[in-house]
Amino acid sequence: MFEQAIMAMASVATDPYLLFLIFATTVLGVIIGVLPGLGATTGAALLLPFTLTMDPVHAIAVLATIYVSATFAGSITAILINTPGTSAAAATTFDGYPLAQKGEAGRALGVAVISSTVGGVFSVIILCFAAPLLARVAYEFRSPEYFALTVFGLSMLASISAGGAVKNLIGGIFGVWLSTIGAERVTGIERFMFGNYELYEGLHFVPIFIGLFAISELLVQSKTVNKIVNTVSMKAVKLPTKEDYKRIWKTILRSCGIGTFIGVLPAEGATVASMIGYSEARRWSKNKEEFGKGSVEGIAGAEAANNAATGGAMVPTMVLGIPGSGTTAIILVGLMVHGLRPGVYLFTEQVEKVYQIFGSMFFANIMFMLMGLYAAKFFARVSLVPTAILWPIVFGLSVIGAYAFQGQLLDVWLALIFGVIGFFARRHGFSVAPIAVGLILGEMVETNLQHSLKMFDGAWWMIFAQPLALMFLIFAFLGLCGPYLYSLIIKRK
Amino acid sequence: MSNKFYTIPLFLTIFSIIIIGISMQLDTSPEMIVGDSMQARSFPIFLMVLNLILISVLTFQYKKNKQDLIKLEKFPTWGSMGLFLIFYLLTVYTDMFIGIFVVMLLMGLLWGEKRIWVSFLTATLTPLFIFLLFDFVLKIRFPRGILMNMYYG
Repeated sequence: MFEQAIMAMASVATDPYLLFLIFATTVLGVIIGVLPGLGATTGAALLLPFTLTMDPVHAIAVLATIYVSATFAGSITAILINTPGTSAAAATTFDGYPLAQKGEAGRALGVAVISSTVGGVFSVIILCFAAPLLARVAYEFRSPEYFALTVFGLSMLASISAGGAVKNLIGGIFGVWLSTIGAERVTGIERFMFGNYELYEGLHFVPIFIGLFAISELLVQSKTVNKIVNTVSMKAVKLPTKEDYKRIWKTILRSCGIGTFIGVLPAEGATVASMIGYSEARRWSKNKEEFGKGSVEGIAGAEAANNAATGGAMVPTMVLGIPGSGTTAIILVGLMVHGLRPGVYLFTEQVEKVYQIFGSMFFANIMFMLMGLYAAKFFARVSLVPTAILWPIVFGLSVIGAYAFQGQLLDVWLALIFGVIGFFARRHGFSVAPIAVGLILGEMVETNLQHSLKMFDGAWWMIFAQPLALMFLIFAFLGLCGPYLYSLIIKRK
Repeated sequence: MSNKFYTIPLFLTIFSIIIIGISMQLDTSPEMIVGDSMQARSFPIFLMVLNLILISVLTFQYKKNKQDLIKLEKFPTWGSMGLFLIFYLLTVYTDMFIGIFVVMLLMGLLWGEKRIWVSFLTATLTPLFIFLLFDFVLKIRFPRGILMNMYYG
């Protein structure tokens, strides 16, 4: 395993085209990350159609690079203009902006860059070792276990950061229902097609994701037209001092662990990780009074955690086919589109490609560190691009991207329709990520339930008799009801 | 509590009931194909029943927690949705790239860009750049219309 990982790293390092792609995508990812509203998920959704003609490893490397670099870049605007470029950088504003207002923007950015890089590299190393081990466990999975696992994945939607638990579950069910549109896989019976035979093979993920993430964001951003932003001046990005390192190294390590663990959990992501990383940094700090006023530990806690979550989230995505966040849902679609079947087979038959993808993520972390240190000031200026120019460009990219995927105008209309649906959902407090995750997991749930029923001659309760399946279903139950049960117990006490 | 708070649960309930109704009308397949597994209609019905249970919890939550009234969106939001309709009409009756150009131009102006030449340049150069990239590099053919007929011949 170790040897394969090293060989793959070497093959990435000696592939100039791949290195150029990672560099170019890191620049693009940082630009996407600093533009408020245009986060990693929207960026990956817009970029997916451009990867269609690429080699599978290059395509996934591009998407993964966008993921890690945009997640980091959200911190640049969080620190300089108090507007997180991505939701994962929201916790960075708590201390990043106050520190910048004190005239130490360079120091704040330096801490953010180093913490993000350590978090990202740590999670890639964990990914290299944990993913093959988990794949070995997953080798034992049959349909009942996969069914229970997807139910667990769907139950975790309840705790996605935006929206309430019930709203997220309703969104997830809507997504699963969307996956039933088209011909049923076993019997071939047409469902919800209304005579439209272009839907025979079901809704494809790409136009739906472009609609849900990019077009709906465009409509959300239309509410912020003419918003004035205050910037703070910055001379240069400084590397943290020895004293800073002494104060933050424990926080960074703790947040690396927290972020990677949170990332691995299905449907949890960088936003949750950064919030927990921040609050744990505060809990363990000797200088609690500095938090909220410009604490370097606060910045390090949030930034190390959110970038560590990127590698963690790739574990369930690549091993089990269960996305850890909205962006990994798009990466999962990228894997499928390029014929890389996520799961055990990916690690047994195409293990070289897997490690090349991990290697690309490693180099992406190094490249965004260099960009963060040497070009943060330039990238911060990009965030001042007027919305009246930026979002019409996003519209153009979205419609052409939706069309290019299958060469069907129907996909363009679907992207626009789902953009409007996504906008109204968000307007009423529903997050769109559960719809996307539900759409991906829907087929898995139904197919594995069908296979399980056949396997047990219709005796559905036999699913509970499988130890691993039972474990996942208990986890799902605890994920759904645990918080309520806990609050009930506390109340009684 | 205003009746407006029931709008979302009511809308979702109607949606779920309609889906159940449509699912009931779906064809059934012979026993020998389905065996001990599910009919094609069963899974969507199961999902919508689950949805109805969640909607009842949501209604209870809405009733319990006082919700803030959602402010109506500003003109740019509704205007942008209107532009999607214009895009549809232009794409169907003229050309997709004419639709993209017009919508990008109008969207820029609608969102407050006062320099018309900036919007014009954005609306011209962006689709042109994307078209060249997709046509020459990715080899993707676009739907025929006034412009594409001229280009493809």
